[in-house]
Amino acid sequence: MVASGGNGTAEVLLEARQISKRFGGLAALQGIDLKIFRGEILGVIGPNGAGKTTFVNCISGLDKPTSGEILFKGVDITKMPSYAIGRLGLARTFQVVKPLKQLTVRDNVAVGAMFGAKGATRTTAQARAYAEEILERIGLQHRQGHKAAELTLPDLKRLELAKALAMNPELLFLDEVMAGLNQTEIERAMELIRGVNRSGITLFVIEHVMKAIMGISDRVVVLHFGKKIAEGNPQEVIEKPEVVEAYLGERFAKRVRGERKSP
Amino acid sequence: MPERKLSRRQVIAAASILVLLVALLFVPKFRSEYELLNYTRFLILALMAQGWNLIGGYTGYAAFGNVAFFGIGAYTTGLLMISKWAVPFFPAMFCGAILAALVAVVIGLPVLRLKGHYFAIATLGVAEATREIADTWDSVTQGSTGIDLPVRSEGEFFYYSALALVVLGVIATALLVRSKLGYAWVAIREDQDAARMLGINTTPLKVLAFALSAVFAALAGGLTAYQNIHVTPGDFFKLEYTLQMIIATIIGGTGTIFGPVLGAGVYQLLSTYVWTKFIELHPTVLGLIIIFFIIFAPRGLMSLVSEGLKVVRGQKRFRWQGLLANVRAHRVT
Repeated sequence: MVASGGNGTAEVLLEARQISKRFGGLAALQGIDLKIFRGEILGVIGPNGAGKTTFVNCISGLDKPTSGEILFKGVDITKMPSYAIGRLGLARTFQVVKPLKQLTVRDNVAVGAMFGAKGATRTTAQARAYAEEILERIGLQHRQGHKAAELTLPDLKRLELAKALAMNPELLFLDEVMAGLNQTEIERAMELIRGVNRSGITLFVIEHVMKAIMGISDRVVVLHFGKKIAEGNPQEVIEKPEVVEAYLGERFAKRVRGERKSP
Repeated sequence: MPERKLSRRQVIAAASILVLLVALLFVPKFRSEYELLNYTRFLILALMAQGWNLIGGYTGYAAFGNVAFFGIGAYTTGLLMISKWAVPFFPAMFCGAILAALVAVVIGLPVLRLKGHYFAIATLGVAEATREIADTWDSVTQGSTGIDLPVRSEGEFFYYSALALVVLGVIATALLVRSKLGYAWVAIREDQDAARMLGINTTPLKVLAFALSAVFAALAGGLTAYQNIHVTPGDFFKLEYTLQMIIATIIGGTGTIFGPVLGAGVYQLLSTYVWTKFIELHPTVLGLIIIFFIIFAPRGLMSLVSEGLKVVRGQKRFRWQGLLANVRAHRVT
């Protein structure tokens, strides 16, 4: 298998081995093997309920996998609490945004700067200054004095990204940061994500917006019913029959295949 | 505190605090011994409320058992003073605060892993348990008879001691909430999962908030014990004290630096006034007033004050909707 596409290096930043997660009788994840290479943008797609967010929860320590192990920078983080994983350099955003509502936008981001990977080296004043820098970078500086409770959804999605970036992560999980955005906002978000990647942060991007995921990813992984059904170059992956079937259903997939056979 | 130069606003704020403080310093000169007792009660309530504000206001964990620490502070102070070492008052009170903090750590470590409601119930249980211990541990606490402390009658001593502790409490709160710890507490209150993902090790920091709140309650307990001379389980482990500190904090404004002090003042004022006007119906009338506050100013007086200041400064026009926003903030849609 090709190790990585455009930006990726050969260095494995995170490796998940045989990750399974059961909720009672439901097998949400079934033996997922996955490598994330330093420097790449890895796109993750899959229908609703495929286990994408569960996978991120297991990696980020918010939930524990039933079995399997996770290595980040060679360190076993499978049983590590989430705050320690965060300080090690792994940050994430939440699909259902989690702003600290009564704090200002600047202070929301400052909290990430205070307790993230470089948090121990910063004073509160330095953290606030760094927060302003981050907000400028992602174009949210005009809202910095507002309480997070006053923001619109697109701004809240950007705030999620800003909080995570303030933690100085090496690996960043973006869980549907584009959901609910309009076309122009999606274009801007894509540019933003590319910029973040260029600054040296490896990205794991879950997204439903197909155009966006195809546009930014170096590699794509497809999850379906808790299993990894495809992995590789974005264009090749989405043409695979099992992927088309997972997304469009069997009948439609047959029709697509039929059309291809007899043009 | 990035700017060195003080803005005009800060100067005005500092000046008004100073004027208030000087006024409080001269209270004993102009008030009778009996009236002074009410002022001291206000300050002791303010102290307890400040402590509750750290765990309940900033960290967002509704502690319903802080009276346990009030009682522990009272008993430790009393027992050390009448022990064979005859410890002087202030060191004795200090020991009470330390013991209360230790107890809070031991209780907090398991209990603060629980979610909000369960934490509230667990602390309520702890308060009941400490009362029972004080009631039945005859060899030490002399059971329900209680213990007698050395007599000290000048009201000014208690008034100034309480005032000094409240001022220290304001300073401590202001410093804490501006530190990383304060940011972490608020993050925990707003969203615990988000806080953890942002790199905050939540449990020890919650326990610290709980222990600090216990210190405030224990200092208040020690002072009250010395003032009342007689300490019994029934008088010092009253659920009423817990409720008072919570109500005072809510009236003043949870998660604000001056809210608990302001709230304690208003509560004491109302309580004294209602007491003299409605001797029979005192608890009922007081209850109605508290309900009024909860419905119409759930964010507390400090939020009304800061909104009012914006209007005065001309940054905002006065609108009735502004007042209603305060009410709506805590409604279920």
